[in-house]
Amino acid sequence: MDGRLLSETFVELADTMVVGFDVIDFLHMLTDRSAQLLNVSAAGLLLADPRGELRVLAASSEQARLLELFQIQNDQGPCLECFRSGKPVAVADLATAARRWPRFAPAAQEAGFASVQALPMRLREQIIGALNLFRAAPGHFDQADMRVGQALADVATISLLNERSLRRSETLNEQLQSALNSRVTIEQAKGKLAERLHLDMDQAFNVLRRYARTRNIRLSDLARAFVDGSEALPGLIEPPSS
Amino acid sequence: MLAGRSARVWSLVAAQAARRGGAVSAEDVCAAALTAVAVSGAGLTAATRAGSGHVMCATDGISEQIAELELTLGEGPAPDAATAAGPVLASDLAAADVEIRWPSFAPAARQAGASAIFAFPLQIGAIRVGVLEMYRSEPGPLDADQLGDALVLADTAAVLLLEGTNWAGGAGPMASFGGQPPYLALHRAEIDQATGMLTEQLQVGIEEAFVRLRAYAYAQERRLTDVAGDIVARRLRLEADPDIPADGAR
Repeated sequence: MDGRLLSETFVELADTMVVGFDVIDFLHMLTDRSAQLLNVSAAGLLLADPRGELRVLAASSEQARLLELFQIQNDQGPCLECFRSGKPVAVADLATAARRWPRFAPAAQEAGFASVQALPMRLREQIIGALNLFRAAPGHFDQADMRVGQALADVATISLLNERSLRRSETLNEQLQSALNSRVTIEQAKGKLAERLHLDMDQAFNVLRRYARTRNIRLSDLARAFVDGSEALPGLIEPPSS
Repeated sequence: MLAGRSARVWSLVAAQAARRGGAVSAEDVCAAALTAVAVSGAGLTAATRAGSGHVMCATDGISEQIAELELTLGEGPAPDAATAAGPVLASDLAAADVEIRWPSFAPAARQAGASAIFAFPLQIGAIRVGVLEMYRSEPGPLDADQLGDALVLADTAAVLLLEGTNWAGGAGPMASFGGQPPYLALHRAEIDQATGMLTEQLQVGIEEAFVRLRAYAYAQERRLTDVAGDIVARRLRLEADPDIPADGAR
Protein backbone atom coordinates (compact mmCIF):
# COMPACT_ATOMS: atom_id res chain seq x y z
CA MET A 1 0.00 0.00 0.00
CA ASP A 2 1.20 3.46 -0.86
CA GLY A 3 1.71 4.99 2.58
CA ARG A 4 2.12 8.50 1.32
CA LEU A 5 -1.08 8.37 -0.74
CA LEU A 6 -2.87 6.84 2.23
CA SER A 7 -1.96 9.63 4.61
CA GLU A 8 -2.78 12.21 1.96
CA THR A 9 -6.18 10.56 1.52
CA PHE A 10 -6.95 10.69 5.23
CA VAL A 11 -6.07 14.35 5.34
CA GLU A 12 -8.30 15.08 2.34
CA LEU A 13 -11.19 13.03 3.70
CA ALA A 14 -11.05 14.84 7.01
CA ASP A 15 -10.91 18.26 5.42
CA THR A 16 -14.39 19.15 4.26
CA MET A 17 -14.19 22.76 5.35
CA VAL A 18 -12.26 23.81 2.28
CA VAL A 19 -13.76 26.49 0.09
CA GLY A 20 -15.80 24.98 -2.73
CA PHE A 21 -16.31 21.65 -0.98
CA ASP A 22 -18.43 19.41 -3.14
CA VAL A 23 -20.03 16.19 -1.90
CA ILE A 24 -19.79 14.52 -5.31
CA ASP A 25 -16.09 15.31 -5.77
CA PHE A 26 -15.49 14.17 -2.20
CA LEU A 27 -17.19 10.81 -2.73
CA HIS A 28 -15.45 10.26 -6.06
CA MET A 29 -12.17 10.82 -4.30
CA LEU A 30 -13.18 8.19 -1.75
CA THR A 31 -14.03 5.56 -4.39
CA ASP A 32 -10.94 6.33 -6.50
CA ARG A 33 -8.55 6.17 -3.58
CA SER A 34 -10.21 3.03 -2.26
CA ALA A 35 -9.62 1.35 -5.60
CA GLN A 36 -6.00 2.54 -5.68
CA LEU A 37 -5.08 1.82 -2.07
CA LEU A 38 -6.95 -1.33 -1.18
CA ASN A 39 -5.77 -3.65 -3.90
CA VAL A 40 -9.22 -3.82 -5.52
CA SER A 41 -10.37 -3.39 -9.14
CA ALA A 42 -13.22 -0.97 -8.54
CA ALA A 43 -15.24 0.76 -5.85
CA GLY A 44 -18.79 2.10 -5.73
CA LEU A 45 -20.77 4.01 -3.15
CA LEU A 46 -24.45 4.16 -2.23
CA LEU A 47 -26.10 6.71 0.06
CA ALA A 48 -29.64 6.70 1.44
CA ASP A 49 -32.13 9.22 0.02
CA PRO A 50 -34.88 10.45 2.40
CA ARG A 51 -37.39 9.51 -0.32
CA GLY A 52 -36.75 5.96 0.87
CA GLU A 53 -34.35 4.58 -1.72
CA LEU A 54 -30.63 4.12 -2.07
CA ARG A 55 -28.84 6.13 -4.71
CA VAL A 56 -25.46 5.68 -6.40
CA LEU A 57 -23.36 8.73 -5.60
CA ALA A 58 -19.94 7.74 -6.89
CA ALA A 59 -17.97 4.92 -8.47
CA SER A 60 -14.40 4.47 -9.62
CA SER A 61 -15.57 3.04 -12.95
CA GLU A 62 -18.69 2.78 -15.08
CA GLN A 63 -18.85 -0.98 -14.46
CA ALA A 64 -18.88 -0.46 -10.71
CA ARG A 65 -21.51 2.25 -11.07
CA LEU A 66 -23.73 -0.03 -13.12
CA LEU A 67 -23.37 -2.82 -10.57
CA GLU A 68 -24.38 -0.48 -7.78
CA LEU A 69 -27.44 0.53 -9.80
CA PHE A 70 -28.14 -3.09 -10.52
CA GLN A 71 -28.26 -3.88 -6.82
CA ILE A 72 -30.75 -1.10 -6.20
CA GLN A 73 -32.94 -2.07 -9.12
CA ASN A 74 -33.01 -5.72 -8.17
CA ASP A 75 -33.13 -5.06 -4.47
CA GLN A 76 -30.31 -7.49 -3.74
CA GLY A 77 -26.55 -7.59 -3.35
CA PRO A 78 -23.76 -7.01 -0.85
CA CYS A 79 -24.10 -3.22 -0.68
CA LEU A 80 -27.80 -3.46 0.19
CA GLU A 81 -27.23 -6.13 2.81
CA CYS A 82 -24.42 -4.12 4.30
CA PHE A 83 -26.54 -0.97 4.38
CA ARG A 84 -29.46 -2.74 6.03
CA SER A 85 -27.40 -4.58 8.65
CA GLY A 86 -24.77 -1.92 9.23
CA LYS A 87 -22.16 -4.69 9.10
CA PRO A 88 -19.49 -5.56 6.51
CA VAL A 89 -20.42 -8.18 3.91
CA ALA A 90 -17.70 -10.23 2.21
CA VAL A 91 -17.88 -12.80 -0.56
CA ALA A 92 -14.56 -14.36 -1.61
CA ASP A 93 -15.99 -16.07 -4.67
CA LEU A 94 -19.09 -14.79 -6.43
CA ALA A 95 -19.41 -18.13 -8.24
CA THR A 96 -20.67 -19.54 -4.93
CA ALA A 97 -23.15 -16.71 -4.33
CA ALA A 98 -25.76 -17.53 -6.97
CA ARG A 99 -28.26 -18.70 -4.39
CA ARG A 100 -27.76 -15.71 -2.12
CA TRP A 101 -28.07 -13.17 -4.94
CA PRO A 102 -29.53 -14.92 -8.01
CA ARG A 103 -29.46 -11.76 -10.13
CA PHE A 104 -26.56 -9.79 -8.69
CA ALA A 105 -23.95 -12.59 -8.59
CA PRO A 106 -24.08 -13.46 -12.31
CA ALA A 107 -24.24 -9.77 -13.29
CA ALA A 108 -21.14 -9.00 -11.25
CA GLN A 109 -19.30 -11.93 -12.80
CA GLU A 110 -20.34 -10.84 -16.25
CA ALA A 111 -18.91 -7.40 -15.49
CA GLY A 112 -15.60 -9.10 -14.74
CA PHE A 113 -15.66 -9.26 -10.95
CA ALA A 114 -15.05 -12.42 -8.91
CA SER A 115 -15.13 -11.19 -5.32
CA VAL A 116 -16.78 -8.38 -3.44
CA GLN A 117 -16.66 -6.67 -0.08
CA ALA A 118 -19.12 -4.08 1.24
CA LEU A 119 -18.27 -1.74 4.11
CA PRO A 120 -20.88 0.30 5.98
CA MET A 121 -20.76 4.08 6.14
CA ARG A 122 -21.91 4.38 9.68
CA LEU A 123 -21.58 6.61 12.70
CA ARG A 124 -22.98 4.90 15.81
CA GLU A 125 -26.67 4.18 15.05
CA GLN A 126 -26.80 6.25 11.89
CA ILE A 127 -26.10 4.31 8.70
CA ILE A 128 -25.85 6.69 5.76
CA GLY A 129 -24.75 4.28 3.03
CA ALA A 130 -22.22 1.64 2.03
CA LEU A 131 -18.95 1.37 0.12
CA ASN A 132 -18.58 -1.59 -2.23
CA LEU A 133 -15.21 -2.99 -3.29
CA PHE A 134 -14.89 -5.30 -6.28
CA ARG A 135 -11.98 -7.49 -7.35
CA ALA A 136 -11.37 -9.31 -10.62
CA ALA A 137 -9.81 -12.33 -8.89
CA PRO A 138 -11.53 -14.61 -6.38
CA GLY A 139 -10.13 -14.91 -2.88
CA HIS A 140 -10.44 -13.39 0.56
CA PHE A 141 -9.84 -9.69 0.90
CA ASP A 142 -6.74 -8.85 2.88
CA GLN A 143 -7.83 -8.12 6.44
CA ALA A 144 -5.34 -5.30 6.91
CA ASP A 145 -6.56 -3.68 3.68
CA MET A 146 -10.16 -3.98 4.83
CA ARG A 147 -9.38 -2.33 8.17
CA VAL A 148 -7.92 0.56 6.20
CA GLY A 149 -10.99 0.53 3.94
CA GLN A 150 -13.32 0.71 6.92
CA ALA A 151 -11.23 3.53 8.37
CA LEU A 152 -11.54 5.45 5.07
CA ALA A 153 -15.31 4.91 5.09
CA ASP A 154 -15.51 5.98 8.76
CA VAL A 155 -13.55 9.18 8.25
CA ALA A 156 -15.64 10.02 5.18
CA THR A 157 -18.87 9.41 7.12
CA ILE A 158 -17.80 11.55 10.06
CA SER A 159 -16.66 14.29 7.70
CA LEU A 160 -19.96 14.30 5.82
CA LEU A 161 -22.05 14.35 8.97
CA ASN A 162 -19.87 17.02 10.57
CA GLU A 163 -19.73 19.11 7.48
CA ARG A 164 -23.47 19.24 7.66
CA SER A 165 -24.01 19.54 11.40
CA LEU A 166 -21.42 22.26 11.85
CA ARG A 167 -23.66 24.58 9.96
CA ARG A 168 -27.24 23.61 10.79
CA SER A 169 -28.83 20.28 11.57
CA GLU A 170 -31.06 20.49 8.51
CA THR A 171 -28.05 20.99 6.28
CA LEU A 172 -27.56 17.22 6.19
CA ASN A 173 -30.59 16.72 3.99
CA GLU A 174 -30.04 19.87 1.97
CA GLN A 175 -26.51 18.80 1.03
CA LEU A 176 -27.49 15.25 0.21
CA GLN A 177 -30.31 16.34 -2.09
CA SER A 178 -28.06 18.83 -3.78
CA ALA A 179 -25.47 16.09 -4.33
CA LEU A 180 -28.12 13.73 -5.69
CA ASN A 181 -29.23 16.37 -8.14
CA SER A 182 -25.62 16.97 -9.17
CA ARG A 183 -25.33 13.26 -9.83
CA VAL A 184 -28.28 13.53 -12.24
CA THR A 185 -26.73 16.55 -13.96
CA ILE A 186 -23.47 14.62 -14.40
CA GLU A 187 -25.34 11.73 -16.04
CA GLN A 188 -27.09 14.19 -18.39
CA ALA A 189 -23.74 15.75 -19.25
CA LYS A 190 -22.24 12.30 -19.90
CA GLY A 191 -25.09 11.54 -22.29
CA LYS A 192 -24.70 14.82 -24.14
CA LEU A 193 -20.93 14.49 -24.45
CA ALA A 194 -21.10 10.80 -25.40
CA GLU A 195 -23.48 11.67 -28.22
CA ARG A 196 -21.49 14.67 -29.38
CA LEU A 197 -18.11 12.89 -29.45
CA HIS A 198 -19.31 9.33 -30.12
CA LEU A 199 -17.95 8.05 -26.82
CA ASP A 200 -19.24 5.45 -24.42
CA MET A 201 -20.44 6.67 -21.01
CA ASP A 202 -17.23 5.75 -19.22
CA GLN A 203 -15.12 7.65 -21.72
CA ALA A 204 -17.46 10.62 -21.56
CA PHE A 205 -17.20 10.64 -17.79
CA ASN A 206 -13.42 10.52 -17.92
CA VAL A 207 -13.29 13.42 -20.37
CA LEU A 208 -15.52 15.48 -18.06
CA ARG A 209 -13.48 14.61 -14.99
CA ARG A 210 -10.17 15.33 -16.64
CA TYR A 211 -11.47 18.65 -17.90
CA ALA A 212 -12.76 19.60 -14.44
CA ARG A 213 -9.50 18.61 -12.77
CA THR A 214 -7.22 20.31 -15.25
CA ARG A 215 -9.11 23.56 -14.90
CA ASN A 216 -9.76 23.13 -11.19
CA ILE A 217 -13.53 23.43 -11.40
CA ARG A 218 -16.10 21.29 -9.66
CA LEU A 219 -17.39 18.40 -11.71
CA SER A 220 -21.00 19.32 -10.90
CA ASP A 221 -20.45 22.92 -12.04
CA LEU A 222 -18.85 21.75 -15.26
CA ALA A 223 -21.69 19.29 -15.92
CA ARG A 224 -24.30 21.98 -15.40
CA ALA A 225 -22.53 24.54 -17.57
CA PHE A 226 -22.12 21.99 -20.35
CA VAL A 227 -25.75 20.84 -20.29
CA ASP A 228 -27.02 24.42 -20.06
CA GLY A 229 -24.66 25.56 -22.78
CA SER A 230 -24.11 28.59 -20.57
CA GLU A 231 -20.31 28.72 -20.84
CA ALA A 232 -17.87 28.35 -23.69
CA LEU A 233 -15.81 25.48 -22.15
CA PRO A 234 -12.99 25.67 -24.68
CA GLY A 235 -11.42 22.35 -25.60
CA LEU A 236 -14.15 20.16 -24.09
CA ILE A 237 -15.97 19.11 -27.21
CA GLU A 238 -13.00 18.80 -29.50
CA PRO A 239 -12.46 15.14 -30.30
CA PRO A 240 -9.93 13.56 -27.95
CA SER A 241 -6.52 12.98 -29.48
CA SER A 242 -6.11 9.25 -29.21
CA MET B 1 -40.28 1.70 0.26
CA LEU B 2 -40.13 4.17 -2.57
CA ALA B 3 -43.02 2.59 -4.46
CA GLY B 4 -45.08 2.70 -1.28
CA ARG B 5 -44.28 6.34 -0.64
CA SER B 6 -44.76 7.53 -4.19
CA ALA B 7 -47.99 5.57 -4.60
CA ARG B 8 -49.37 7.04 -1.39
CA VAL B 9 -48.34 10.58 -2.28
CA TRP B 10 -49.67 10.20 -5.82
CA SER B 11 -53.07 9.08 -4.55
CA LEU B 12 -53.20 12.16 -2.31
CA VAL B 13 -52.50 14.35 -5.34
CA ALA B 14 -55.01 12.48 -7.50
CA ALA B 15 -57.66 12.79 -4.78
CA GLN B 16 -57.21 16.57 -4.83
CA ALA B 17 -57.71 16.60 -8.60
CA ALA B 18 -60.82 14.44 -8.28
CA ARG B 19 -62.24 16.76 -5.65
CA ARG B 20 -61.66 19.69 -7.98
CA GLY B 21 -63.05 17.74 -10.90
CA GLY B 22 -60.10 18.30 -13.22
CA ALA B 23 -56.94 16.67 -14.54
CA VAL B 24 -54.03 16.45 -12.13
CA SER B 25 -52.19 19.75 -12.01
CA ALA B 26 -49.62 21.65 -10.00
CA GLU B 27 -52.29 23.11 -7.75
CA ASP B 28 -53.22 19.59 -6.60
CA VAL B 29 -49.61 19.06 -5.53
CA CYS B 30 -49.81 22.19 -3.38
CA ALA B 31 -53.10 21.08 -1.86
CA ALA B 32 -51.74 17.59 -1.15
CA ALA B 33 -48.76 19.10 0.67
CA LEU B 34 -51.03 20.47 3.38
CA THR B 35 -51.93 17.01 4.64
CA ALA B 36 -48.87 14.98 3.59
CA VAL B 37 -46.27 17.36 4.97
CA ALA B 38 -48.46 18.98 7.63
CA VAL B 39 -47.85 22.54 6.55
CA SER B 40 -50.11 25.61 6.79
CA GLY B 41 -49.79 26.53 3.14
CA ALA B 42 -47.92 25.79 -0.07
CA GLY B 43 -47.16 27.63 -3.28
CA LEU B 44 -45.47 26.92 -6.55
CA THR B 45 -43.31 29.32 -8.49
CA ALA B 46 -42.40 28.53 -12.07
CA ALA B 47 -38.98 29.67 -13.19
CA THR B 48 -36.53 28.61 -15.84
CA ARG B 49 -32.90 29.56 -16.12
CA ALA B 50 -33.91 32.07 -18.79
CA GLY B 51 -36.34 34.19 -16.85
CA SER B 52 -37.48 35.18 -13.40
CA GLY B 53 -40.31 33.32 -11.76
CA HIS B 54 -44.01 33.79 -11.54
CA VAL B 55 -46.42 32.35 -9.00
CA MET B 56 -48.28 29.40 -10.54
CA CYS B 57 -50.53 28.60 -7.63
CA ALA B 58 -50.80 29.06 -3.89
CA THR B 59 -53.10 27.48 -1.35
CA ASP B 60 -53.59 30.71 0.58
CA GLY B 61 -52.76 34.39 0.79
CA ILE B 62 -49.71 33.91 3.02
CA SER B 63 -48.09 31.48 0.56
CA GLU B 64 -48.69 33.97 -2.20
CA GLN B 65 -47.23 36.80 -0.11
CA ILE B 66 -44.10 34.74 0.65
CA ALA B 67 -43.52 34.07 -3.03
CA GLU B 68 -44.07 37.71 -3.92
CA LEU B 69 -41.68 38.86 -1.18
CA GLU B 70 -38.98 36.61 -2.60
CA LEU B 71 -39.52 37.85 -6.13
CA THR B 72 -39.47 41.47 -4.93
CA LEU B 73 -36.57 41.24 -2.48
CA GLY B 74 -34.55 38.74 -4.48
CA GLU B 75 -33.75 36.75 -1.34
CA GLY B 76 -35.33 33.92 0.63
CA PRO B 77 -35.61 30.14 0.71
CA ALA B 78 -36.98 29.74 -2.84
CA PRO B 79 -34.21 31.68 -4.65
CA ASP B 80 -31.61 29.90 -2.52
CA ALA B 81 -33.16 26.49 -3.29
CA ALA B 82 -33.05 27.26 -7.00
CA THR B 83 -29.39 28.30 -6.81
CA ALA B 84 -28.24 25.44 -4.57
CA ALA B 85 -30.20 22.86 -6.58
CA GLY B 86 -31.25 21.39 -3.25
CA PRO B 87 -33.95 22.04 -0.66
CA VAL B 88 -33.70 24.87 1.84
CA LEU B 89 -35.18 23.92 5.19
CA ALA B 90 -35.68 26.85 7.54
CA SER B 91 -37.61 25.47 10.49
CA ASP B 92 -37.43 28.69 12.50
CA LEU B 93 -37.55 32.02 10.72
CA ALA B 94 -36.70 33.81 13.97
CA ALA B 95 -33.34 31.99 14.36
CA ALA B 96 -30.28 34.23 14.35
CA ASP B 97 -28.62 32.56 11.37
CA VAL B 98 -31.82 32.94 9.34
CA GLU B 99 -31.90 36.68 10.11
CA ILE B 100 -28.34 36.96 8.85
CA ARG B 101 -29.05 34.92 5.76
CA TRP B 102 -32.18 36.84 4.71
CA PRO B 103 -32.13 40.20 6.53
CA SER B 104 -35.03 41.67 4.56
CA PHE B 105 -37.05 38.56 3.84
CA ALA B 106 -37.05 36.88 7.28
CA PRO B 107 -38.82 39.68 9.22
CA ALA B 108 -41.22 40.33 6.32
CA ALA B 109 -42.20 36.65 6.09
CA ARG B 110 -42.76 36.49 9.86
CA GLN B 111 -44.87 39.62 9.58
CA ALA B 112 -46.91 37.86 6.89
CA GLY B 113 -47.57 34.96 9.25
CA ALA B 114 -44.90 32.34 8.49
CA SER B 115 -42.66 30.85 11.19
CA ALA B 116 -40.99 28.10 9.17
CA ILE B 117 -40.42 27.74 5.42
CA PHE B 118 -39.31 24.73 3.39
CA ALA B 119 -38.40 25.27 -0.26
CA PHE B 120 -37.85 22.43 -2.75
CA PRO B 121 -36.36 23.12 -6.17
CA LEU B 122 -38.21 21.47 -9.06
CA GLN B 123 -35.11 20.15 -10.72
CA ILE B 124 -34.04 17.02 -12.50
CA GLY B 125 -30.32 17.53 -12.89
CA ALA B 126 -29.85 20.59 -15.10
CA ILE B 127 -33.59 20.74 -15.77
CA ARG B 128 -35.06 23.57 -13.75
CA VAL B 129 -38.73 24.45 -13.77
CA GLY B 130 -39.44 26.20 -10.47
CA VAL B 131 -39.71 25.88 -6.72
CA LEU B 132 -42.31 24.27 -4.45
CA GLU B 133 -42.47 26.19 -1.21
CA MET B 134 -44.31 25.40 2.02
CA TYR B 135 -44.72 27.33 5.24
CA ARG B 136 -45.82 26.65 8.78
CA SER B 137 -47.40 29.21 11.08
CA GLU B 138 -45.53 27.60 13.98
CA PRO B 139 -41.78 26.88 13.92
CA GLY B 140 -40.65 23.26 13.72
CA PRO B 141 -38.63 20.94 11.47
CA LEU B 142 -40.00 18.35 9.05
CA ASP B 143 -39.69 14.80 10.30
CA ALA B 144 -38.13 12.13 8.08
CA ASP B 145 -41.49 11.02 6.63
CA GLN B 146 -42.63 14.54 5.89
CA LEU B 147 -39.32 15.30 4.19
CA GLY B 148 -39.61 12.16 2.06
CA ASP B 149 -43.16 13.07 1.04
CA ALA B 150 -42.18 16.65 0.29
CA LEU B 151 -39.39 15.46 -2.01
CA VAL B 152 -41.75 13.15 -3.88
CA LEU B 153 -44.27 15.99 -4.21
CA ALA B 154 -41.53 18.17 -5.68
CA ASP B 155 -40.61 15.43 -8.19
CA THR B 156 -44.27 15.21 -9.17
CA ALA B 157 -44.64 18.96 -9.58
CA ALA B 158 -41.48 19.11 -11.71
CA VAL B 159 -42.83 16.61 -14.21
CA LEU B 160 -46.32 18.17 -14.21
CA LEU B 161 -44.87 21.59 -14.98
CA LEU B 162 -42.59 20.25 -17.69
CA GLU B 163 -45.33 18.34 -19.44
CA GLY B 164 -47.82 21.15 -19.10
CA THR B 165 -45.54 23.36 -21.17
CA ASN B 166 -46.26 23.64 -24.87
CA TRP B 167 -43.03 22.64 -26.52
CA ALA B 168 -42.16 23.24 -30.13
CA GLY B 169 -42.01 19.48 -30.49
CA GLY B 170 -45.70 19.30 -29.79
CA ALA B 171 -45.44 16.82 -26.94
CA GLY B 172 -48.25 18.64 -25.19
CA PRO B 173 -49.68 17.95 -21.80
CA MET B 174 -50.05 14.33 -20.76
CA ALA B 175 -51.33 15.12 -17.34
CA SER B 176 -52.71 11.69 -16.60
CA PHE B 177 -49.45 9.75 -16.98
CA GLY B 178 -51.65 6.78 -17.80
CA GLY B 179 -52.70 6.84 -14.16
CA GLN B 180 -49.14 6.08 -13.03
CA PRO B 181 -47.17 8.20 -10.62
CA PRO B 182 -44.87 10.15 -12.91
CA TYR B 183 -41.69 9.86 -10.86
CA LEU B 184 -41.45 6.10 -10.31
CA ALA B 185 -38.73 5.70 -12.88
CA LEU B 186 -37.19 9.11 -12.46
CA HIS B 187 -34.00 8.21 -10.66
CA ARG B 188 -32.38 6.01 -13.21
CA ALA B 189 -29.09 6.97 -14.73
CA GLU B 190 -30.03 5.67 -18.20
CA ILE B 191 -32.91 8.13 -18.31
CA ASP B 192 -30.57 10.99 -17.44
CA GLN B 193 -27.96 9.83 -19.95
CA ALA B 194 -30.57 9.34 -22.68
CA THR B 195 -31.96 12.82 -21.96
CA GLY B 196 -28.48 14.25 -22.41
CA MET B 197 -28.03 12.33 -25.67
CA LEU B 198 -31.36 13.62 -26.98
CA THR B 199 -30.28 17.25 -26.56
CA GLU B 200 -27.77 16.49 -29.32
CA GLN B 201 -29.96 14.21 -31.46
CA LEU B 202 -32.90 16.60 -31.42
CA GLN B 203 -30.92 19.82 -31.03
CA VAL B 204 -33.12 20.96 -28.17
CA GLY B 205 -32.64 22.08 -24.59
CA ILE B 206 -32.50 19.59 -21.74
CA GLU B 207 -36.07 20.29 -20.58
CA GLU B 208 -37.53 19.59 -23.99
CA ALA B 209 -35.31 16.53 -24.45
CA PHE B 210 -36.77 15.07 -21.27
CA VAL B 211 -40.34 15.73 -22.35
CA ARG B 212 -39.72 14.29 -25.82
CA LEU B 213 -38.24 11.14 -24.30
CA ARG B 214 -41.29 10.67 -22.12
CA ALA B 215 -43.67 11.47 -24.98
CA TYR B 216 -41.95 8.88 -27.18
CA ALA B 217 -42.22 6.17 -24.52
CA TYR B 218 -45.83 7.10 -23.89
CA ALA B 219 -46.74 7.04 -27.59
CA GLN B 220 -44.99 3.68 -28.10
CA GLU B 221 -46.57 2.32 -24.90
CA ARG B 222 -43.14 1.34 -23.65
CA ARG B 223 -41.48 1.77 -20.30
CA LEU B 224 -39.40 4.90 -20.01
CA THR B 225 -36.39 2.96 -18.70
CA ASP B 226 -36.54 0.57 -21.67
CA VAL B 227 -36.63 3.38 -24.22
CA ALA B 228 -33.81 5.16 -22.39
CA GLY B 229 -31.81 1.93 -22.33
CA ASP B 230 -32.20 1.56 -26.11
CA ILE B 231 -31.04 5.13 -26.68
CA VAL B 232 -27.99 4.71 -24.43
CA ALA B 233 -27.15 1.40 -26.15
CA ARG B 234 -27.54 3.25 -29.48
CA ARG B 235 -30.24 0.89 -30.70
CA LEU B 236 -32.61 3.82 -31.00
CA ARG B 237 -32.19 7.39 -32.24
CA LEU B 238 -34.84 10.07 -32.17
CA GLU B 239 -34.60 12.42 -35.10
CA ALA B 240 -35.18 16.14 -35.02
CA ASP B 241 -38.51 17.06 -36.56
CA PRO B 242 -37.67 18.81 -39.85
CA ASP B 243 -40.81 20.95 -39.65
CA ILE B 244 -39.72 22.56 -36.45
CA PRO B 245 -36.85 25.04 -36.37
CA ALA B 246 -34.03 23.83 -34.14
CA ASP B 247 -34.13 27.02 -32.15
CA GLY B 248 -37.89 26.83 -31.64
CA ALA B 249 -39.48 27.96 -28.39
CA ARG B 250 -37.57 26.49 -25.51
